Amino acid sequence: MSPIAFNGTAVEQNEEGFLVDPSVWNEELAVVLAKAEEGLDQLTDDHWSVIRFIRNHFNESGNAPMVRSMCKGTGVPLKRIYELFPSGPAKGACKLAGLPKPDGCV
Amino acid sequence: MPELDELESRLDALVEGDFQRGLEVFRSKLKEAEASYLNSCVHCGLCASSCHYHRADATLENVPAHKLDVIAAVFKRNFTAMGRVAPGLVGARTFDREMAKAWVDAVFGRCSLCGRCSINCTIGIAMPRIFRAARAALGAMGLTPSDLQATVDNSLQHGNNMAITQEDWVETVQWIEEELQMEVDDPEAKLPLDKKGAKILFTVNPREPKFFPLSLQASAKVFWAAKEDWTLSSDPGWDLTNYGLFNCKDDEAGAITQNLVDAMERLGCKTLVIGECGHGYGAARWEGPEWLQKSYPFEIKSILELMDDYLREGRIHVDPSKNTVPVTLHDPCNLVRHGGICEAQRRVLRKSVTTFTEMTPNRAENFCCGGGGGQLSMARYKNRRIQSGGVKAGQIKDTGAKIVVAPCHNCIDQLMELNKEYKLNVQIKTVAEMVADAIVTTA
Amino acid sequence: MRLLVLASAIWTILAMAFLHHKTKGFGKRTLFSKPAGSPRKGALYAFTRGMAPWAKESVMLNLPSYVAGMAFHAGVFSAFGLMCLALLGFELPFFLLVIAQVFTLLGAIGGLSLFVKRIVKAELRGLSCPDDFVSNLLSTAFALLAFLWTLVPSMESLWLAEGALLLIYAPIGKIRHCLFFFTTRYHLGAFFGRRGTFPPEGNSHA
Repeated sequence: MSPIAFNGTAVEQNEEGFLVDPSVWNEELAVVLAKAEEGLDQLTDDHWSVIRFIRNHFNESGNAPMVRSMCKGTGVPLKRIYELFPSGPAKGACKLAGLPKPDGCV
Repeated sequence: MPELDELESRLDALVEGDFQRGLEVFRSKLKEAEASYLNSCVHCGLCASSCHYHRADATLENVPAHKLDVIAAVFKRNFTAMGRVAPGLVGARTFDREMAKAWVDAVFGRCSLCGRCSINCTIGIAMPRIFRAARAALGAMGLTPSDLQATVDNSLQHGNNMAITQEDWVETVQWIEEELQMEVDDPEAKLPLDKKGAKILFTVNPREPKFFPLSLQASAKVFWAAKEDWTLSSDPGWDLTNYGLFNCKDDEAGAITQNLVDAMERLGCKTLVIGECGHGYGAARWEGPEWLQKSYPFEIKSILELMDDYLREGRIHVDPSKNTVPVTLHDPCNLVRHGGICEAQRRVLRKSVTTFTEMTPNRAENFCCGGGGGQLSMARYKNRRIQSGGVKAGQIKDTGAKIVVAPCHNCIDQLMELNKEYKLNVQIKTVAEMVADAIVTTA
Repeated sequence: MRLLVLASAIWTILAMAFLHHKTKGFGKRTLFSKPAGSPRKGALYAFTRGMAPWAKESVMLNLPSYVAGMAFHAGVFSAFGLMCLALLGFELPFFLLVIAQVFTLLGAIGGLSLFVKRIVKAELRGLSCPDDFVSNLLSTAFALLAFLWTLVPSMESLWLAEGALLLIYAPIGKIRHCLFFFTTRYHLGAFFGRRGTFPPEGNSHA
């Protein structure tokens, strides 16, 4: 996958669009990823609270949170999370939060 | 691409001993059936169109016979007289860096081990059996794609393939129990954990508690309606997945299977029930006993067979008019062609929905979704995975259905991507989700 | 010439027996999973209904090649039958001779068409090694010479010599599939039979 242009630099993504180096992530980059990967023109407050929750969890523990804690930590109901991120919590929300691709059947 | 650079450097690092080890492992996986397969291809090429990779991208590299030939060439050179005497004549090749790279590309990069070529082969070569031996050999040479290996390592280290902690698992189960109690308005609706002596130990895909718990809730609702005596395990025996089926390292695969056997023993259950997961069923039902080299002292079933039993015995009742959106059914390769579970899910669906349309072709003739064989975990082949999935996308479109039912979480994830990529505009659900929606309790 | 053919036939049989023995030497796999179906019924299906052209999409999508292949095989087997009779000094009744002529001629045409296909189609060419061409040419020539021999009996020596060559080459290259077709198809059928996939219950093209 060719790198995504961002603020005059080239940000590398793996074949599936996950960041190669999660540490380059910031919120402006999330906006660019949202457009490029999920086709989202606008990120609502609900989007942001999920993305920030995932990112904080990742910074603290180095992995993606359970969808259970996403709901509990943000107050966003489960079904709403699926609506917010068309590709789901893993390939949608976690990708926008700059996490590496989770292992397993995703 | 970082993943491919990594492969190149690993290939560069190979020394003579690695090739020898690879050959030894390869040889050790062959029995008379495989030796026969490796001697019988006539290069007729008719298998080409049976492969979804070739359907989507008609190149020589995607012809199953060519993939087989890459492996057979090395077999001939090392294990047949003619291959040693006249390698040029019979197409035998020395196992070197170039061939190792071709093996990786053929068996990891262009094959989901779906076996559609097997039944379409003029001769009858069960090609995935050979490709699995080749994957094992490459594994012994340190050439298993790292993300595929990471998924196996998760299972070995954490007891499940997404490295979910026991605390997170238990908490999610309790949360789903509360959700179920609200849904069915019964405070006695349970997701029992570690219930000793329960009749059934139910196992799930870690994807469910991690990101998609509604399918677990649906299965639990079916058990609740059937008044089943069931339990989940809090130890690693809750995870039905086994990517050892895909990295083909039998010792690792066996160690993961052992988690299920241990949980069955610890809880004293009678039947191990595998949730809706193709590779998980194939691994636990068919390969597990071979990896462990012993038969199970318990019964093993798919939840599809169980739901079929419930409906036949009248233990649950469904009202199809609760599912009026047109439905089609995907046949996961490891569950249907390689697993032998073919009609149960159809009987269940026909009772649970009003409009059910088969894909063409279907059952043992089905096309792979493109995500099987561990493809879902190997980022480096993502483009091929999506491209080869175009065949399945076309099949889905042709049915006109708005819900695709897939009794496999691996397939579901791939189908979700196909849905987005090919603008299918469908919903993707498990069989249990359809049944759960149709359940009536006052029959 | 007769001795040469006989010696070649003995070589073929011994070499094939050796190949079979070597394959058997890899050993049977002991299976521990509980069967869902019958390996025997699966194998039976694989050799009967499972071989029907309409049971295989790969055949339905490639009917001309399938027909050519069937003609080719029928032609070569007919030529072998003719050779046996010739060696034993039997003369075929006229109508059987005509049938043999039709079979060997169609076989030669089938073989030749597959040879041309292998050269012309880039993908098939890429899949091929020298053995594919040698095996085809030896078999096609054998069927063709058998046909010509029925018209020009003086060609007998040439035909038999070619037949001997074919017999000598058979175990060396892919013509060994005259043995391995049967073992492979048995194993395929037994595998899918045990798993309950063969014989299929429903119509997968419905």
